[in-house]
Amino acid sequence: MQSVIRPNAWVALKLPSGSTKVLQIAPNTTISLGKYGSFPANLIIGRPYHLTFELQDKLPDENFSRLRIVPTSELYAEVFAEETAPECATPATGANDTVISATDGEEFSLVDEKGNVVARSNREIIDDNARQTLTQEEIEELKREGNNAGKDVIAKLLLSHTALDQKTSFSLAKYKLLKTKKYIRRFQVLPIDVANFAQWQLEERDASKIMDMRAEMIGLVGCWGNVHYGGDDVLLEDPKAAVAQGEEACVPVDEGLLRGRWLVVDDTCGLLVAAMAERMGVLYDNEDAETEGKTEEQNKDTEEQTAATPEETHRANVNETQPGKATQEGGDIEMTDVQNAPTKPQAEKKPKQQKPRPSDFAIPYSQTNTITVIHGASQPNLSLLNYWGFDITSPNHPPHPLHNHLLTLTWLQLLKPELDASYSTPPLTASPETLASWKPSRRGNFHRKRRRYARIRHIVDSTRAGNFSGLVCASTMDPISILRHTLPLLAGGAPVAIYSPSVEALAAVADCFSVPRRTAWVSGNVPEIEGLSTEELERWPGNERFPLNPTLLHGVSIQTSRARRWQVLPGRTHPLMTERGGADGYVFTAWRAKPAEGKIAAKGKFKRRKVESEAATPASA
Amino acid sequence: MATTTRNKVSPFLDPGPRTKANSLAILQLSRDNLLPVYLQPPTGEHDGYAEGAVVNTRYGSFPHSTMLNVPWGSQIRASKVDTGSRGRKRKRESGVDACREATGAGEKDDGKDNEDSAATAVNGESAPAVKQAVADTSGFIHILPPTPELWTTSLPHRTQVVYTPDYSYILHRIRARPGSVLIEAGAGSGSFTHASVRAVYNGYPTEGQRKGKVYSFEFHEQRYHKMKKELSDHGLDGLVQLTHRDVYSGGFLVDGKSPEADAVFLDLPAPWEALPNLSRRKPQTSLDTGDAAAENEQTEWVSPLNPKKSVYLCTFSPCIEQVTRTVSVMRRLGWVDIDMVEIANRKLHTSRERVGLNLNFDRGVNNSPRDVEEALARLEEIESRFREHAAKPRDGDEDMDSADEGDMQSSAKQSIATHGNPGPSADEGSSGTAPWMEGRLITRGEPEIKTHTSYLVFAVLPMEWSEGDEAAAAAKYPVGKEQKVIGAVDKAARKQERREQLQKQQGNSRKARRKERDEKLGEASG
Repeated sequence: MQSVIRPNAWVALKLPSGSTKVLQIAPNTTISLGKYGSFPANLIIGRPYHLTFELQDKLPDENFSRLRIVPTSELYAEVFAEETAPECATPATGANDTVISATDGEEFSLVDEKGNVVARSNREIIDDNARQTLTQEEIEELKREGNNAGKDVIAKLLLSHTALDQKTSFSLAKYKLLKTKKYIRRFQVLPIDVANFAQWQLEERDASKIMDMRAEMIGLVGCWGNVHYGGDDVLLEDPKAAVAQGEEACVPVDEGLLRGRWLVVDDTCGLLVAAMAERMGVLYDNEDAETEGKTEEQNKDTEEQTAATPEETHRANVNETQPGKATQEGGDIEMTDVQNAPTKPQAEKKPKQQKPRPSDFAIPYSQTNTITVIHGASQPNLSLLNYWGFDITSPNHPPHPLHNHLLTLTWLQLLKPELDASYSTPPLTASPETLASWKPSRRGNFHRKRRRYARIRHIVDSTRAGNFSGLVCASTMDPISILRHTLPLLAGGAPVAIYSPSVEALAAVADCFSVPRRTAWVSGNVPEIEGLSTEELERWPGNERFPLNPTLLHGVSIQTSRARRWQVLPGRTHPLMTERGGADGYVFTAWRAKPAEGKIAAKGKFKRRKVESEAATPASA
Repeated sequence: MATTTRNKVSPFLDPGPRTKANSLAILQLSRDNLLPVYLQPPTGEHDGYAEGAVVNTRYGSFPHSTMLNVPWGSQIRASKVDTGSRGRKRKRESGVDACREATGAGEKDDGKDNEDSAATAVNGESAPAVKQAVADTSGFIHILPPTPELWTTSLPHRTQVVYTPDYSYILHRIRARPGSVLIEAGAGSGSFTHASVRAVYNGYPTEGQRKGKVYSFEFHEQRYHKMKKELSDHGLDGLVQLTHRDVYSGGFLVDGKSPEADAVFLDLPAPWEALPNLSRRKPQTSLDTGDAAAENEQTEWVSPLNPKKSVYLCTFSPCIEQVTRTVSVMRRLGWVDIDMVEIANRKLHTSRERVGLNLNFDRGVNNSPRDVEEALARLEEIESRFREHAAKPRDGDEDMDSADEGDMQSSAKQSIATHGNPGPSADEGSSGTAPWMEGRLITRGEPEIKTHTSYLVFAVLPMEWSEGDEAAAAAKYPVGKEQKVIGAVDKAARKQERREQLQKQQGNSRKARRKERDEKLGEASG
């Protein structure tokens, strides 16, 4: 992840009120934080994450607020004061051998050295909200003056509270915290990674969009799905297919190369895919060191080209930063333009950077470390990946690691590819002469269609080849139906992790693998499976009695996890009073089994009933 | 041994499609009963067993030869193994036993393959005859590739283990990702080590390359040696660097060099004593623990943290007193976003709850009325029987007794006849519901739950930012050219912006808009 805030990066701004603002930090803009004020974006670009900034008062000759980094000693000043205060008091009392007792009737009273009561118990407190002598107008006036990042307002509010001396230390702290949250002009910049983003989406945006998936669940699903880096990239060799060649020139799927691939069904708009991509190291763009150099070079380049028109400069930059661009579809129209117009100045300027374009049938996808998304609609909904700079709908995409590692296909393409037009229609062919006679746009379309054909063919064939390293699922569809079609695609021992916001759907899946059901299945007394081969049993279509082949998964388990948050303050440590409710979230886990052929029975547990139920001895594993 | 050198990648990270000799496999005996086993190639009699190494469980005996070179996840049948006579060291003629035909067709061939490969592998010696395993009539297990989750539930306990619900959350929160460098202090039983290696792994490092790595520290010497052996057995040598050290006084540098860690996990009894060693700069002398270390290193103090990134930290302490002290020290050392949570995990079991009067008398069936109607029907029946009986004329005492008996018997027969019906038909499976589909599907918690593991304290230490850095950044991104406002814009301004945007786009085709978006994306990623 980035160490400093980069221009145009998505970040989360955490405000004193506890709310978060997610923004794309465009350079040369003003960022407004609502009631807390506004500041120029350039003041946080290039600065580290996690620092706390304070909006300062506008200088007389400037029309914007400058920022100040708040040192942690200041952030924690009150806690430090509290921590030291009792420490000073206790040795003194210890020396005088006096014992603090509650007999004076003021339980929890705090007395300073001179004997003045600093804070009292809550016996005398009058429950009245109207103890603040400052009127709303006066407060507004103070805010407008906006002195000292809101600290003045808070101090004045505290001073003009008539019953401040009657407050216990607890209620005083609470009151101050309340006012600080409201008036202090501070904020913190957090990076948009999966953890921060998911929390924001869950607690402040639309939780239903991500199926109420909590951080605990993201962690559990990732671990039980054993999602991890699946090996260095392996790319298939370019077949160098000529334009006149049809499907026979396509690269066949080499099952030996396919490794570290995970199957995903994602109805969380891409959050699950993002979480998996993060675990596989394909979510974030390029390493820091590289980009630093790159952007600098780019800047230099831009400066050199000041003579060129802005549009051209931009295009040249795009070309430079996107060497792999030609592999993407739709990029043709512009690209062919550039190539076929050598009279244009920029094509002459950068002849080296025009890499030989791979042929239409070159497969851009890695054979390892990939995520295969199966989706129910004709296009996958992975809109949340936009926050990490990846737009699945964009045909002409700048390079992004997800590009070579994210494969998507529909259920139709997986289960009935012959019915899918883009898979079953053979690719267009044309002789080079005919091609040259076409208009650039038509030529572009021709190449785009051929490329799409090769890509879809590769995705479908490699997915149907199976041997996936795991299945991870967070879907609104019935998990039983998902498993029916995905279980045959999993390698032996591959983990299955299914998330669901409620337990009922998962319980139904677990019931498909219940001990009595499995025992009945392997007992040999099921008429419908008699005579079926192992292959046929793996692809068991399911019926009412056996929705799934109950021997294909084992170690079936359902769990739920919940993080309970605590407040840790000197003398005031306790769990938070309220937290987000709603869906708890459950995870179903199991491993893909390769059942032994033929009848199999567990070691005799029920020997005494051997005579009557030899066939139905319950399996114990 | 040749196998271990050949397949360099740990079975935890890439187990391959099939089981291999000299590699770790997890045997799943029952759901929560897992057994880690290093599969051995069959090289003649082993420990008195003619079949070579054998795993004996309550589910049967499993010679390693039947578990080699099978696909992961395979169900393995138990074998008939002579466990009784091996202590007596009686010489057996292996040939005679091997002739006996195995009943299980599946692994017979596999077993033969293994025997062949083993024979070729041990080419130097005269290949000793390994007895062909004979499948037993019952008993089976599953063989699974090792994962941190399976290892966590099956590993030999040396200390308290960090379980999956905790470590999955911790690794997510401390941003352990491929390429991260992680410090772990208190390696303990190694469950967290295995999970964190999987999280940070992005290839084995070659010379001078920075790859994801775990720097692990263990204070206890015996545990350190056990752990060291375990790590190399698991093929994790280049990925975990284990150091035997007391990190309170010794700090976190390895060979005097900084690991440049991006994330830290402390599973120590006193994390606050280790925290000063995890600073950006030399810790203040007021913290007395730092003194000894500071004196040793008269030279420059090196931070073990990555100077270019925010560092994420998690401490794992069971007691609240430890937490308050840790948090207090964290605040003084400049850690921010301090957050304390505890994880409550529950496993749920699903079962069928069968309640009803006319169900069979199987185990787990509650033979009480299913609903009010059923209860009512039975009560009505009993009531009518009484009424019938009362209406009968009373002839004499003897007669009454006999009549009563006969009546009761007949009605009992009747009730059995009416109610006993669904039972046998369900057993047949042809009509009615199958027995495994009867009743209501329910979930319930496991009988014993872990109510408290430990408190997790998370914190972040931002990158150090000097005035010089600030000046450089200010020069690179000068202010004063602000064009528009983003963020919390009031409604009027937002509307105005939208209007302008629409005007600009009018006449532009959809394609142009798309292009614009692409360019924007390009800027964002570039």
